[in-house]
Amino acid sequence: MMTIGTLALLSIGLPWIGAVVVRLIGDRRPAAQHASAVVFALAGAVAAVAMIPQKTDANVLDLPLGSAFGHLTFLPDGLAVFLAVVATVIGSLAVIFSVDYMKGERQLGRYYSYVLFFIGSMVGLVLSSNLLLIFVFWEITALCSYALISFYNDDPKAVAAGIKALIVTQVGGIGLLAGALLLYVYQGSYDVPTFLATASTLPADVLAVMAFGFLVAAAAKSAQFPFQTWLPDAMEAPTPVSALIHAATMVNAGVYLLARFYPAFEAVPHWKLAVVVVGAVTALMAAVMALVSNDLKRVLAYSTVSQLGYMVYAVGTGGIFASQFHLLSHAVFKALLFLSAGAVIHAVHTRDMREMGGLGKQMPVVKVVMIIGGLALAGIPLFFNGFWSKELVLEAGREGGPAWAWAFMVVGAGLTALYTLRFLSMVFYGEPKGHGHVHDAGPAMKIALVPLALGTLTTYLLAGPFGGFLGRALGEGHEVGTTGQVLLGILTAPTTFVALAVVALGLLAWWRRESLSGLARALRGIGTMASNSFGFEAINRGIVSATVASAESLRTTHNGVLNWNVFAILVGLVAVLAILALGGA
Amino acid sequence: MSLSLPLLAAVGVLGLLGTGLLGLLVTRNLIKAVVGLQILVKGAMLALVLAGRLAGQIQIGQSMALTVIVADTIVSVVALALAVQVRRQFGTLDLQALSTLRR
Repeated sequence: MMTIGTLALLSIGLPWIGAVVVRLIGDRRPAAQHASAVVFALAGAVAAVAMIPQKTDANVLDLPLGSAFGHLTFLPDGLAVFLAVVATVIGSLAVIFSVDYMKGERQLGRYYSYVLFFIGSMVGLVLSSNLLLIFVFWEITALCSYALISFYNDDPKAVAAGIKALIVTQVGGIGLLAGALLLYVYQGSYDVPTFLATASTLPADVLAVMAFGFLVAAAAKSAQFPFQTWLPDAMEAPTPVSALIHAATMVNAGVYLLARFYPAFEAVPHWKLAVVVVGAVTALMAAVMALVSNDLKRVLAYSTVSQLGYMVYAVGTGGIFASQFHLLSHAVFKALLFLSAGAVIHAVHTRDMREMGGLGKQMPVVKVVMIIGGLALAGIPLFFNGFWSKELVLEAGREGGPAWAWAFMVVGAGLTALYTLRFLSMVFYGEPKGHGHVHDAGPAMKIALVPLALGTLTTYLLAGPFGGFLGRALGEGHEVGTTGQVLLGILTAPTTFVALAVVALGLLAWWRRESLSGLARALRGIGTMASNSFGFEAINRGIVSATVASAESLRTTHNGVLNWNVFAILVGLVAVLAILALGGA
Repeated sequence: MSLSLPLLAAVGVLGLLGTGLLGLLVTRNLIKAVVGLQILVKGAMLALVLAGRLAGQIQIGQSMALTVIVADTIVSVVALALAVQVRRQFGTLDLQALSTLRR
């Protein structure tokens, strides 16, 4: 029996070794590359799953690394192991799916090595308990996502999207780094468990800076308001990568960060409210944008942003269990949706839903699994995991959050049902648009899709054990009962009926869309604003052009004349001497 | 107040540093810039020896100065060799004419 420390290292290391191996195999032997990528991803998943029975609340590995950085410590508690399992298992399914999806693509070595590196880094991010190490893994995942989003690097749009993702997540990285350095200054180490236990002894303003720094980091990583614009653009990536980013790795990191540090920041004034505002605004805004997009992958991307808003909102209202439970549901059904969307796109060679339609007859398997995923996303009772976890989030919000935010979320739930029906019917029903022969998903695609569909239909049955598994990470007084108690609690909560009524209203609105066309015309202004991403793209462009302009004007100081440079050095010297003289006085 | 050896050395340091910096500030000739740099480094070297003497560890100051001599020689050899090539390639040693960072 291996110790959990070894398993933790294996679940990080095996995908990383795989990344090197796939590169070394070389692009001339694609069959070997496909096979070894799948083997190493699955091996990492096995190591992560094997950690489940051994989870612990103490640091298990302690690798000394000089005095400046503290020891590299790993803490596989319930929360960390849960996210490691999500990252590796769903990551492996994305890798298996890639065998069919990426068949015949060039530069598979580059593709698989970044995917595996990405998965390993995400596991490292959730398992490590040294804040500086968390930051390092955080930035590695940002780098991998950049490389994968820009995978088709002869497409300027893909390159621009990758750079955008990198820059936006770097802004968040600054927040995390600032928090980590402050922690080192005031605590003398980067140790996270020590911090969580003694957070109240830190000065209040320092704690506040850390709390809001981490909120910025989480918002940038999880594509929350006002950083949400990078995720829809990231749709230029190959579809399995989108599934990986949306369900298994990248975006979960932000929610993880908030949930992990919630006990420490709970008491910071206005922090919880800020988290609720970020989550609620994002959830509603992204749902509206999903409603007006015609690009299948963009719809799914906005729905991810919106569902992540639900998780962030749940953390802000104190519902850590609700947020993690929804994360589990979302990881499964969103991976399912993305991979089946990938199968559709692979078959018809377009992402524009207006050119699809009537695909249900030609792709029966994909149709069934995608509808299962869609119904989970829409929150249709009773057999889909999305329903249970979303109601849990809403109930947590009703108890612990402001009423207006709760109203936002309930309206968002109705919009979710509406846009889900819209994209499902645009893709699978209606008149075929003439694609000639469309083939159903390949065998490897089906191997990846079927377990996810089964998971969507069953993971809610794990509610009780899952709550017990998260254990101490939920905080004092947040113990979760058995599955029966949790599900019964959801069924009898008043929120559930309100939300169901709103969801039904959303479905009805799609059903009766012809007679509502007058209303649709009245709301066209909002629709136009939503297609323009509510002006956030314009703000982004403004920031970019202002930065470029100021850099251009600063270029005049770089005139390359030796005398001016020496003069600048002398001025600098005088300034330093003056500061020393004044400071010494 | 008598003229002690450290005082003389300190005046020398300031004089050499000042001369070197002034040369770098005003010259447009690549060879003269190398000469100015040399004078500047000689000032730094003398400062090292002086600091060693004042701290009572003259041997450390001297070995630092010897190290600087080695590095400094290499710098001037490479710089002058480059100057020869620059003159052959571009036909001028004027630093402002040579600058390509111009807008």
